[in-house]
Amino acid sequence: MANEQDTGRELRQIVRINEEIKSVVATAFKINLMAMNAIFLAKRAGQSALGFGVLSNELRRFAMELQKQMSALREMTYGSVSTVTAMVKQVRINRVLDRARKEANGQGKALIEEFLSRRRMSAYSLHQAQIAAVNRRLAQMIADTAQLVELGSVLARSAKIEAAYGGAFSASLMQVSSDFEQTIGAIQRSLETLNRQHLQDTRP
Amino acid sequence: MKTARVIYEEGNRKWFAIVRDPNRPEFIIDTNEYLVVDGDDAILLDPGGSEIFPAVFSAVSTEFDPRKIGKIFASHQDPDVVSSLSMWLEFNPAIKCYVSWLWASFVPHFGGVKETFQPIPDGGMDIMLGGHRLQAIPAHYLHSSGNFHIYDPKAKILFSGDVGAALLPAGEEALFVDNFDRHIRHAEAFHRRWMGSDRAKRDWCARVSQLDIEMMCPQHGSIYRGADVRRFIDWFAQLEVGVLKG
Repeated sequence: MANEQDTGRELRQIVRINEEIKSVVATAFKINLMAMNAIFLAKRAGQSALGFGVLSNELRRFAMELQKQMSALREMTYGSVSTVTAMVKQVRINRVLDRARKEANGQGKALIEEFLSRRRMSAYSLHQAQIAAVNRRLAQMIADTAQLVELGSVLARSAKIEAAYGGAFSASLMQVSSDFEQTIGAIQRSLETLNRQHLQDTRP
Repeated sequence: MKTARVIYEEGNRKWFAIVRDPNRPEFIIDTNEYLVVDGDDAILLDPGGSEIFPAVFSAVSTEFDPRKIGKIFASHQDPDVVSSLSMWLEFNPAIKCYVSWLWASFVPHFGGVKETFQPIPDGGMDIMLGGHRLQAIPAHYLHSSGNFHIYDPKAKILFSGDVGAALLPAGEEALFVDNFDRHIRHAEAFHRRWMGSDRAKRDWCARVSQLDIEMMCPQHGSIYRGADVRRFIDWFAQLEVGVLKG
């Protein structure tokens, strides 16, 4: 029965990580809209915000990259939910079979014991392989996203500096780049939590 | 645990009734399952819900190798009828499940792949077992809109699903009906409420009256034998069905 308990623990971990991924995805989608606003604002500011304009175009490219990364994360979330569902089903079937083993006698008992032990061994190794694959993919995805967000953070800081040279538009440009910085900061914090949780969950 | 009781045996053909589980939780309706064996070929009629699978499996395995069950018949789509399908498929993934075409894309929610399902057309069909045929007899709207019973012309047994079902109180759970008048009181409210169509009921009564039936086996309650089969059909023909209060 220890295998079933392990499965239960791992299932809860995957569900918890998925919840965290959802919050990262939700924050990241704001970035795209903010980048569009920054480009329009830079155009309105004209000559006085040329530097900001270059950066806002870079931020827009960053936002699109981030969106792609988030779509991949969402697909991974869907994939891991499918893995979880299949495992829950297997655990449930094992539980019913275990009850059948307790109730059966003679030939039926021997048959179900043999079946159950074979089933547990194969299901356990399959389950381990699936969990390991999900963990590997997730770790890689977190590392890639963190690197990308670091670039976004540098861009936001540079945009803030450029905003100071925005003349009459300086206050608005400063506001936009501060919003950027805050949102990217929120994503970074979510990713750190996600990474911490993941490391904690996968520690042997 | 349930027990497997032989209710018919001649040559290679055997009918087992899988009945009465004293360990069944009160909130789960008691069901009868039937195993029809012909040599090495076997079909399980209304195998039951997944919660009672351990009891049914244990009872079946005292009499027959469960891995050899190659066919499952589901009279309709209800969970107490066939939600254990995925469990039986664990033992034999090649099992064929015979069910009304109407439910052939719904029952897979309980398990199985496309090849598992053998849809039964509205007019019914023959299901071969050990070289002899069983007949899927239409019983639509009694109670499900896609509903079949199984008639075995060799054994003269009709498996009648929910028709003839009785919700028996503790202490009156005999395998066979021994006092029709007393027994039918426990069937009346069930039939009034669950059987939705008077026309479907009359059609069914006319159809099964043509059959030579020695035993009528419902999914709940006791089995009707001999003259009680005719008594039941006559009683059912007269009963007002599809009403909320009786």
